[in-house]
Amino acid sequence: MSAKGSRGSESSQTRERDARPPTLAVVVSLVAAAVATLAALVADPTGGAVVGASAVAFAGGSLLGSARVLSWGAATGIAGIALAAGFGGGAEPLLVAGVAVAVAWDVADHGLSLGRQVGRSARTRRNVAVHAGASLLAGALSAGVVYGTYVTAAGGQPIAALALLLFGGVVLASAFR
Amino acid sequence: MTTVERALDHRRNGDRDDERVDGRDDDRDRDDERDGDGDRGNSAPTDRRALDAFDTERWVGVTGVALALVGVGVALRQPAMVVAGAAAIGYGLYARLGEAGEAALALDREVSDRTPDPGDEVTVTVRARNVGDAPRFDLRIVDGVPPGLEVVDGPARVATALRPGAGVAFSYVVRASRGVHEWGTTRAVVRNASGSRERLTELETPTRLTCTPELATGGDLPLRGLTTVSHGRVPTDVGGSGVEFHATREYRRGDPLKRVDWNRRARTGELATLELREERSATVVLLVDAREEAYVAERPDADTAVEASVEAAGAVFTALLAGGDRVGIATMGPRDCWLPPGAGTDHAVRGRETLATDPALAPTPADDRFYRTLWRRRFRRRLPGDAQVLFFTPLADDVPVDAARRLDAYGHLVTVLSPDPTVSPSRSPASTTPGRKLAAIERRERIRTLRGAGIRVVEWGDRSFPAAVASASGRWSR
Repeated sequence: MSAKGSRGSESSQTRERDARPPTLAVVVSLVAAAVATLAALVADPTGGAVVGASAVAFAGGSLLGSARVLSWGAATGIAGIALAAGFGGGAEPLLVAGVAVAVAWDVADHGLSLGRQVGRSARTRRNVAVHAGASLLAGALSAGVVYGTYVTAAGGQPIAALALLLFGGVVLASAFR
Repeated sequence: MTTVERALDHRRNGDRDDERVDGRDDDRDRDDERDGDGDRGNSAPTDRRALDAFDTERWVGVTGVALALVGVGVALRQPAMVVAGAAAIGYGLYARLGEAGEAALALDREVSDRTPDPGDEVTVTVRARNVGDAPRFDLRIVDGVPPGLEVVDGPARVATALRPGAGVAFSYVVRASRGVHEWGTTRAVVRNASGSRERLTELETPTRLTCTPELATGGDLPLRGLTTVSHGRVPTDVGGSGVEFHATREYRRGDPLKRVDWNRRARTGELATLELREERSATVVLLVDAREEAYVAERPDADTAVEASVEAAGAVFTALLAGGDRVGIATMGPRDCWLPPGAGTDHAVRGRETLATDPALAPTPADDRFYRTLWRRRFRRRLPGDAQVLFFTPLADDVPVDAARRLDAYGHLVTVLSPDPTVSPSRSPASTTPGRKLAAIERRERIRTLRGAGIRVVEWGDRSFPAAVASASGRWSR
C-alpha cells in the first residue's frame, strides 16, 4: 500500500543526516596520500606510481563509503613501498611514505565510521583532528625510533643483525597484551 | 474514586512529573555555575549503562604485514624495506594501546520552550562534560530524539574528543508536534586513540516537551437521533415543545394555549394541539482509530491520518460541548484511553488534554499488540446505553468497518468520519501509483459497505473537515 506512512522515527533518522564521511577526514586522507606518493616518487618512480594508485583508491573508498576499497588502497600503498624498496629506494623517503600511507588509510577509515555514526553535517572537526594527530604521532615516533636504530646500529653491521634487533621489537610488541 | 477525581489525580501526577524534571534541571544549572568557578569533576555523572567493549578489527594484520616486509627485506638485502616494515610494527603497538572506557559524562539538555505550539521550532542544546578521569580521544554522542519530533536543522549528533573536565555543546532544532515527547536514551560511543576498540554507553537524561494544540472550533456536525432525556439541540421524533413542526393531536386539558392550532379551530370547530419536535441533547463518544494500521499518510513526511482524526475530533468536541451535548473520548488501539462523556468547562479542559497528550494518541504508533475482541468488550461495557459514536478512522483496513457495523447494530448510532490518506499529494498522474489506486479502491469499497449498512460516512482529504461536514450534512435526512 503506497499510502502507508513510514514510521516517524525511521524516516526522521534517515532524513536527519548525510551519512558521507566528514569533509575534513577526506581532505586529510588525500593530503596524506599525496605526501606518500611524492615521497615514494622520490625513492623510486615505479613504486611511486603504485603508491599513487593507492591515493586514487583512498579517494574512491571515501566517495563510495566502502571500507573494502580503503583496505585495497592500503594494500596497494604497502605494495608500492615494497616495490620502491625492492628497486633500491632510500630508507628516509620510504619511511615518510609508509607513515603517510598509514595516516591516509587510518583517517579515511575513521571518516567512514564517523559518517555512519554521526554524519557529515555534524560537528566532527575536533574528533578528526585528534585522530589524525594521534595517528601521525604514533607513526612519527615509530619511524623515529626505527630510523635512529637504523642509523646508529646499521653502520657496519650486517643487515641480518638489524633484522634480529627489530624481531626482538616485534616479540616485545606481541607480548604487550 | 469518581472519574473526575481520577482525572484530577492524573493531572496532579503529570504536574509532579514536570516539577521533578524541572527541579533536576535546576540542580544541573547550579552544578554548571559551580564548575565555572573551577571546581571541576564534582558534578554527578549522568546515569549510564555501559556495554562491553569490542574489537573494531581496524588494524588487524598490520603486524603480519610488518613482519613480511622485514622478512622480504632481509632476504633481498634491502635495508629500506626492513626499516619500513619495522616502522609498521609501531602501528601494531599503537593499535594495542589503551582501551575504550565508559563514557562518564555529565549530560544536560536544554529545550528553548517546554510547552510549544504545534509547528513551532524548538532549539535543543545538549551539553556533555567528561567527568571521568581519562581523556576520551574519540567520543561520538547521538541524542535520543523522541520519535514524534522531527529534527529540522542539524543532526542531533556530535563527534569530538574530550580531556577530563572538558565539555562539548551542540544544538539542533526540532519541529514540535502534538503530544508529550520524552527524550530517550542518549548513546555515547567511545573508541580508543587508534580506534581498535569501541564501547557503547547509554545515558539517561529525561527531558519532556509537552505540545498541546488549541482545539479548533469546528463545524456543526449533525448528530443522529439517539438522545438523552435532557434538553439540547438534536431534533428528535418525540412530540412536545420545540420549534419544528412534528404532528397535530387532539387537545388535552392543560395543553398550553399558544400551541393550540387556532386555524384548525376556526375551520372545523375542533380544538387541536400542535406537536413540535422535542430538541434534546445527545451523549456522544468520539472514537479515534489509533491502531498501527491507522498511522497512514499520503506522503512519508505528511501528517498521519491519526493526526487528522485527532484534529477533527478536537473541532467536533468543542462544537458539541458548546451545543450542550455530553461528549466523551475513546481510542481504538493497543493502549487504553477513555474519557467518559461529560460537560462543562472542566470537561473541556480534560478533553483538550486527552486529545493532545494521551499516550494512546501519540504521534507514532505504540509497539503493543491490539486485541480487537478484548477492546470491543471493554468499549461496549463502558459505553453508556444512549451514547452515539462518532468514529474517526482512515478506513485503512476492514477492522473499523466491522467495529462500526457491530456498534451500530447494538443500537449506538455510528457516524464514521474518515480522513482520506489515499489522495495523491499532487494532481500529476505520475504520483498515482498502482498501490495508491488499489488502496483508494479498497477504501471506497469499505465506505460503500458502511453506507449500505445505514451508517453515515463523511470523508475529507485535501479539503477541510468543516467543509466536508457541511457538504455531507446537506445530503443527510434525519
